[in-house]
Amino acid sequence: MTADNILTVDGLSVSYGKFNAVQNVSFSVRKGEIFGLLGPNGAGKTSTLSAVEGLLKPQAGTIVVDGNDAASKPLHARASLGVQLQSTSFQNELFVIEVLQLYAGIYGVPASKNDLMATLREINLEDSAMKKFGELSGGQQQRVSLVIATIHNPRLVLLDEPTTGLDPQSRRQLWERIEAIRERGHAVLLTTHSMEEAESVCDRIAIIDHGRVIAIDTPQGMIDKHKSDPEVIAVSRRGRITLEDVFIALTGKAIRS
Amino acid sequence: METSIPKISTVLKTLLRADFTTQWRNRRAVILTLIVPVIILALWKPLVREISGPFVLSNSITLGLIATGLMGYSNAIARDRDKGIFQRLRVAPISSWSIMTSRLLVQMAMILMITTAVFVVGNSYDQVTLTPAGYAVTYLSALVGGALYLGLGQMIVGRIQNPETVNSTVRLVYFLFVMGGMLGQFYHNAEFQNAVKWSPYGTVRTILASGMEPAKWNNDSSMALLVTLGYALVCAVLGIKWFKWNTK
Ligand SMILES: Nc1ncnc2c1ncn2[C@@H]1O[C@H](COP(=O)(O)OP(=O)(O)O)[C@@H](O)[C@H]1O
Ligand SMILES: [Mg+2]
Repeated sequence: MTADNILTVDGLSVSYGKFNAVQNVSFSVRKGEIFGLLGPNGAGKTSTLSAVEGLLKPQAGTIVVDGNDAASKPLHARASLGVQLQSTSFQNELFVIEVLQLYAGIYGVPASKNDLMATLREINLEDSAMKKFGELSGGQQQRVSLVIATIHNPRLVLLDEPTTGLDPQSRRQLWERIEAIRERGHAVLLTTHSMEEAESVCDRIAIIDHGRVIAIDTPQGMIDKHKSDPEVIAVSRRGRITLEDVFIALTGKAIRS
Repeated sequence: METSIPKISTVLKTLLRADFTTQWRNRRAVILTLIVPVIILALWKPLVREISGPFVLSNSITLGLIATGLMGYSNAIARDRDKGIFQRLRVAPISSWSIMTSRLLVQMAMILMITTAVFVVGNSYDQVTLTPAGYAVTYLSALVGGALYLGLGQMIVGRIQNPETVNSTVRLVYFLFVMGGMLGQFYHNAEFQNAVKWSPYGTVRTILASGMEPAKWNNDSSMALLVTLGYALVCAVLGIKWFKWNTK
């Protein structure tokens, strides 16, 4: 572990009963980088994040968030994390502005209602302040939950499949927002099963399949390293090696989504 | 950048505000839990003279408490858990007990409100008046009895994940309380009456009725209080042990 790491996951294993969903996974996220966990559905991405978030207790391994061990100092670890869960919802009885007030409060952010209205204005949702979360469109909901994930200015933001289900335009907007989060000095750990997303927004990626990390590198580094492998050449089309070709060669299959 | 842990007082205040707002927006459901207690006060008016005022009022409050613990609390927990609301709260730097404490405090407020509503209707329609001590002890009894039914509700959401199944289960259990507990009191069979008396219905009703006339508090009342506390403890311990924060 170096001082440059905002998150270190070492030898992480997660099981559900007898089923081992995550096995001996190690990786680290550096300050100010966008790190992607790339893998098909069921690979163990959400389980890995859940362990980092403290939602489940790992069978083995250590997790250190911003210098705080997640097992022994869970509240400190969570205070450094901003989180957007894969499937989450906010109280549907509350208005959007009230949801923001709730999360500002439980993260200890002294924000007035005016401050929070300004936050909504930044994401063009000022008019939705008095709407229920469930009344927003998918893209609007994403924007709100992203704002909530960064409401306390966390060192590390965890985004679980942030763009799944968004139309191409909203997806691109979200990529820009994620990059803006990095510009402000936060590190981002996101999961995706989209090669395109991994290639276009992530500084580094870990390919994960069947609960194991198969490779960690920059997208280009991964392509460069494997572009001469016979398996990669065998699956490549039109002569150009893509991340997808490397993925298929490494995992032995096309990405299932 | 922030890495400090928020103050517990700020956290609880914030959670309470959100939970009370939620409860307020669901006030129609709250009013529904008051319907059966009010019907009892209306239909059983003659029993005030035939049996006693505390008998009528205590049955009315008991049914209100059951509805709160089962219909109000369980259903809300089952629904919010299914939607992932708890998981999102739990990744914040707050302890899980603060989430539940806030929920329970809202239910405590509901218990006091229902008790007050029964006092008001009982006074104006049934002309039942208690001494100040009677009112005070009854509020305390209501909190203890309410805790039992909240514990029972906790047990149900501990065992059952699906919110629809939770909903039908709590309705069934409520129905059993009405048939077995409330109406069972009028079934002339000594053994059955004894069973009702020491059931989770009867002990709560007893401490409520005894609380209304503190001067007449006797051994049976104390015993009923102990049994109620015992039921509440067992239900709460099992309910918390079984409870999972997500439905996956
Ligand atoms: N609560 C659970 N109980 C049992 N199995 C689970 C549970 N959550 C996930 N799994 C299983 O663990 C594996 C990894 O799941 P997950 O971490 O959600 O993958 P991903 O996020 O990469 O799609 C899958 O096979 C999934 O079916
Ligand atoms: Mg997932």
